[in-house]
Amino acid sequence: MSRVAYSVAAALGALAAMIGISGLLGDTWVVTVPWAVPLGGLQLSMDRLAGFFVALIGFATIPVSLYAIGYAGDDRRGALPYVGFVIAMCAVPLAANVMTFAVAWELMALASYLLVVQKATNGTATHPGAPAADGSESHDASPHAGGRHAHDAAEATGAAWTYAVMAHAGFVCLLAGMLLLSAWSGSTRFADWRDTELTPLARDAVFVLLALGFASKAGVIPLHVWLPLAHPAAPSHVSALMSGVMIKLGVYGLFRVSLEWIGPAPAWWGVAILVAGTISAVVGVLYALVEHDLKRLLAFHSIENVGIILIGLGAGVLFLESGLGTLAVLGIAAALYHTANHAAFKGLLFLGAGAVVRSTGTRNMEVMGGLVKRMPWTAAMFLLGAVAISALPPLNGFVSEWLTFQALLQSLQVPHTGIGLVFVGGMAGLALTGGLAMACFVKAFGVTFLALPRSEAARSAVEAPGWMRLGMALLAFACVALGLGPTIVVPVLGLVAGDLTGEVTPLWFGDWLRLDVPGDFASLSTFAIAIALLVAGIVPLVVLRARGLTRRRVYETWGCGRLLQTSRMQYTATAFASPFRRIFDFLYQPAHALHVEAHPESRFFVDAIRYVHETRAVAEDWLYHPLSQALHDVTERIRGVQSGSTNVYLVYILAALVLMLVLG
Amino acid sequence: MLRQLRAALGVGVVTEPPAPASEIEALGVTLRGEIARLFGRSLHIRQVDAGSCNGCEIEISGLTGPHYDLERFGLHFVASPRHADCLLVTGPVTRNMAEALRRTWEATPDPKLVIAVGDCSRDGGIFAGSYAIAGGVADVIPVDAVILGCPPSPKALLAGLLDAMGRLRQ
Ligand code: SF4
Repeated sequence: MSRVAYSVAAALGALAAMIGISGLLGDTWVVTVPWAVPLGGLQLSMDRLAGFFVALIGFATIPVSLYAIGYAGDDRRGALPYVGFVIAMCAVPLAANVMTFAVAWELMALASYLLVVQKATNGTATHPGAPAADGSESHDASPHAGGRHAHDAAEATGAAWTYAVMAHAGFVCLLAGMLLLSAWSGSTRFADWRDTELTPLARDAVFVLLALGFASKAGVIPLHVWLPLAHPAAPSHVSALMSGVMIKLGVYGLFRVSLEWIGPAPAWWGVAILVAGTISAVVGVLYALVEHDLKRLLAFHSIENVGIILIGLGAGVLFLESGLGTLAVLGIAAALYHTANHAAFKGLLFLGAGAVVRSTGTRNMEVMGGLVKRMPWTAAMFLLGAVAISALPPLNGFVSEWLTFQALLQSLQVPHTGIGLVFVGGMAGLALTGGLAMACFVKAFGVTFLALPRSEAARSAVEAPGWMRLGMALLAFACVALGLGPTIVVPVLGLVAGDLTGEVTPLWFGDWLRLDVPGDFASLSTFAIAIALLVAGIVPLVVLRARGLTRRRVYETWGCGRLLQTSRMQYTATAFASPFRRIFDFLYQPAHALHVEAHPESRFFVDAIRYVHETRAVAEDWLYHPLSQALHDVTERIRGVQSGSTNVYLVYILAALVLMLVLG
Repeated sequence: MLRQLRAALGVGVVTEPPAPASEIEALGVTLRGEIARLFGRSLHIRQVDAGSCNGCEIEISGLTGPHYDLERFGLHFVASPRHADCLLVTGPVTRNMAEALRRTWEATPDPKLVIAVGDCSRDGGIFAGSYAIAGGVADVIPVDAVILGCPPSPKALLAGLLDAMGRLRQ
């Protein structure tokens, strides 16, 4: 049954990919079903941007659904919401009026809510008795077993609750903005908004509302709180879709808002987007660095990558405002490219993490290790994803970050100094992000897959079944293809960006091997890099073979002559992240506690050492807690109105009646 | 810090006068020739302290100083036996270090050269007969040459290395 549902989802994905591609290449159509929903009817329309996102959703859905066939097995929970989720996601970029959009958006939120909450309902966690993944890092010699089930359920409930609240707060913003626009423009059709004359204040108000709504879906800091909770709580194929595609629909909205619906954008929109992107990128990766829950780590990287996309978009908006159309197209194409790339490598990483979690029963990296021997396939795939997300050539992450850099570097042409500084900030942030992301994935891959297993669960891990490997392999292929094929992809994205900005795209199909940045600024050939790397790897091998130096001896790892080598001597994730935690302690506001239990006879005989280290989430502490506290206080006060006494309610009715009569 | 500085200045130089530069030069050049002939380029040495009093180590580290500067003759100290051609073992082999020494020897790629340094390394020296000792280096791993002295001077070390090379050639 679940097998059928996931196969259907994969087929839907293939269909969406085809429709999307045709839209991406310039096909446009409008479908209207007046009776389906009130207020303007169901209306879908296709343009290049919608085509891009539909294709993205389709291409991500195929491998993820194939993976899900193996991952879910006979578990039927979540299969139907999953299909609904995919359909709703495809409908969002196609929606052509407010009502259709609202229905699709809410369906998407609802379906994903059901998928997140799924573990809270019933069902079994994969491996009962496996160590639990704690949010805080606590290092016991023996990770506590059992209680995982209840822990999972409680976690999923909490995550789903936060997710629902954030999704709806965002939705309220969106709806308010859209209804205002509809009222002012006299139409609920998106296409009519473009030509509406609005006062600058009205436009700004609508922009703020819509941007807040979309940014909360995209996980922009500080609206990201739901994301590191919901992604890990959901099953991994769902996380892959949520992170790879769903949050991108928030980005999609930002594209539409800042470039199409109420454009042309004033400079401060671009500045806001660029600054928000920079902050999200840097802070997101910093939180990922100290995170030892594998899936939460990936969730924080999603925030980082959305930040990188927004840096490209913000740059595009600013260039457009400064009249530099060519560069605007470049920035926006870079943002779109990174959107696609992130879907590929983050999807891959989530699927890899899912395979690990499924076979070890934990998400805590500190009890993993040595999985490369037990799950070589998954390890290879995860490594490829890690290389891609770390923006190392010749894979896809490198290409889009390179393009973003090229756009930012040309900001010298922007006449305004203040805006130039914003660009410089973006560049610095992007560079810092790249370095930190690499450090983070050295940690994630090294601690999870290398060295000796740190627990029984890791020791007895087994490779993922065929369907899951197929899903991962497809996404890995996408990472390589997007890395090697920028000469084909970039011009197509240039067309999308050209449509959005009304500029003629300077990016065109030319040289098949070399990608040129407009204005003779820079060029890149990932093929050349790939070949150079291949040669650098193969030539020494050939030379050694030719000289007959191929004698090998297999021997245990050199451990400085130590007699006993256990996993306790290994570098832990906490230790790896420690220098970063110290450097950036203003952000983490860390709290340490070291408990040493000594033998009663002598303090030199230590029975146990327990080190607890927690980093605080600044956004929660400074923004959300005061906010929810204030909300709580207000509702506490209002509650007095609801006394429960019938007499009082009768008085209310009377008062209301009198009021109506007076006003009427 | 000032106190340390004053002590250092007050005591002055207490090391013995080094061997004349010309002798070192002559020894070194011959050694380099031998190394080039036997190993192609250079000799990588892993020093193993199997339980020495550290006297031998002080002399060995003297070799890397500016006066002797053994790197110019193609000799390098490396941080892992995996990178080494030659093990330079000092001290008697304590029981605690016996297994580690054996493993170090196993971890060194073939062909390898083992040179024992100091009187202790021959038979335990002044520690011979102690309950804590497994014996000389040769009791634990095969030894190619012994450089005697307690401790041997840097020059003696160079000469000993040369001697070991010569023996290897035969
Ligand atoms: S030979 Fe002399 S200097 Fe060297 S370890 Fe033995 S006692 Fe110390």
